[in-house]
Amino acid sequence: MIAKIGLSLLLCVIMLYAWHEYRRFAAVASMAALAAAFGLYFVWFPDQATRMATLVGVGRGVDLILYIWVCISLLVLVNLHLKLRAQSELVTALARAMALAEAKAQDHDASPPIAPT
Amino acid sequence: MGGDGFSHMDQPAAASMDKDAACGIWVVIPGYNEGRVIGRVVADVRRQGYAVAVVDDGSRDDTCANAAAAGARVVRHPINLGQGAALQTGIDYALTQGAEVIVTFDADGQHRAGEIARLIENLRRARADFALGSRFRGAATNLPRLRRLVLMAAVVFTRVTCGIRVTDTHNGFRAMTRNGARSIRLRQNRMAHASEILQQIAASGLRYVEVPVTVDYTAYSLRKGQRVADAMTILLDLFTRKLYR
Repeated sequence: MIAKIGLSLLLCVIMLYAWHEYRRFAAVASMAALAAAFGLYFVWFPDQATRMATLVGVGRGVDLILYIWVCISLLVLVNLHLKLRAQSELVTALARAMALAEAKAQDHDASPPIAPT
Repeated sequence: MGGDGFSHMDQPAAASMDKDAACGIWVVIPGYNEGRVIGRVVADVRRQGYAVAVVDDGSRDDTCANAAAAGARVVRHPINLGQGAALQTGIDYALTQGAEVIVTFDADGQHRAGEIARLIENLRRARADFALGSRFRGAATNLPRLRRLVLMAAVVFTRVTCGIRVTDTHNGFRAMTRNGARSIRLRQNRMAHASEILQQIAASGLRYVEVPVTVDYTAYSLRKGQRVADAMTILLDLFTRKLYR
């Protein structure tokens, strides 16, 4: 029972994480939430996991849960990668703004002075 | 960045540039460590009477100095971001300068400045917002066979994924109207931007026309250009881009 509760808590954390990330990375968040929901179901109904595992040819229910856990880990990894890309976009925007501001200042310096009236 | 004094043009060059900029045509050239050839490329384009904006993408060599000496306005990225990012910066800069037509041009000397006029003429004649250069309608000298195959595969991929019927997908020689340029917002910093532009053109519903151009492959441009293995990186970038907003 302790293991079940521990696993359930972990999977709930994944669900919360997916919900939190949904607005930015909808596809990854949906997949993570789905995988976590399956995981929760199998933790509380292991017989179903065994039946399902036999059905898909995995063997034991515990193996199926392990595979789902690996999948969740990979999805979190993908999400981290996407976050890095989002950070990269911010860096790009910043570098571009700096470059354009500097070019504007140079253009201003290069333009001929206005003749006194 | 900046402040080294090299990226400023002398006064006659600046006056000549202002005159060329007044015609509303800007040629945007993104460059990274192209110091060896950028001066000649810029000079060729300037001789045709167009204003030139070189985006120095954080080069460590004398790209910036040579481009400015040849008569280009230089916009400098403080760090290397990639060709896609440099192009978007160049487009943004040209728009702020009041460009009516923006031409994108490679820095490695594989495009011919003399063909810019043909690109613009086709853009205007077809009343299109984009004129896309095609080496497969025109000519590609010294194009290695393997690269040709990869480019053809890219054409098939683009036709399937974007529904845009072009014959050359990774050609950096293109022209766009101000309206077209404003519809483009590149988020692929590196080489996948070429596919991204086509995706955005298809999504915008704006009119485009393909124009035969010549691409001259040299030992230098082959060394500097994309490698065949980059195709996988481009595919991965395009796929990853689909996963987030």
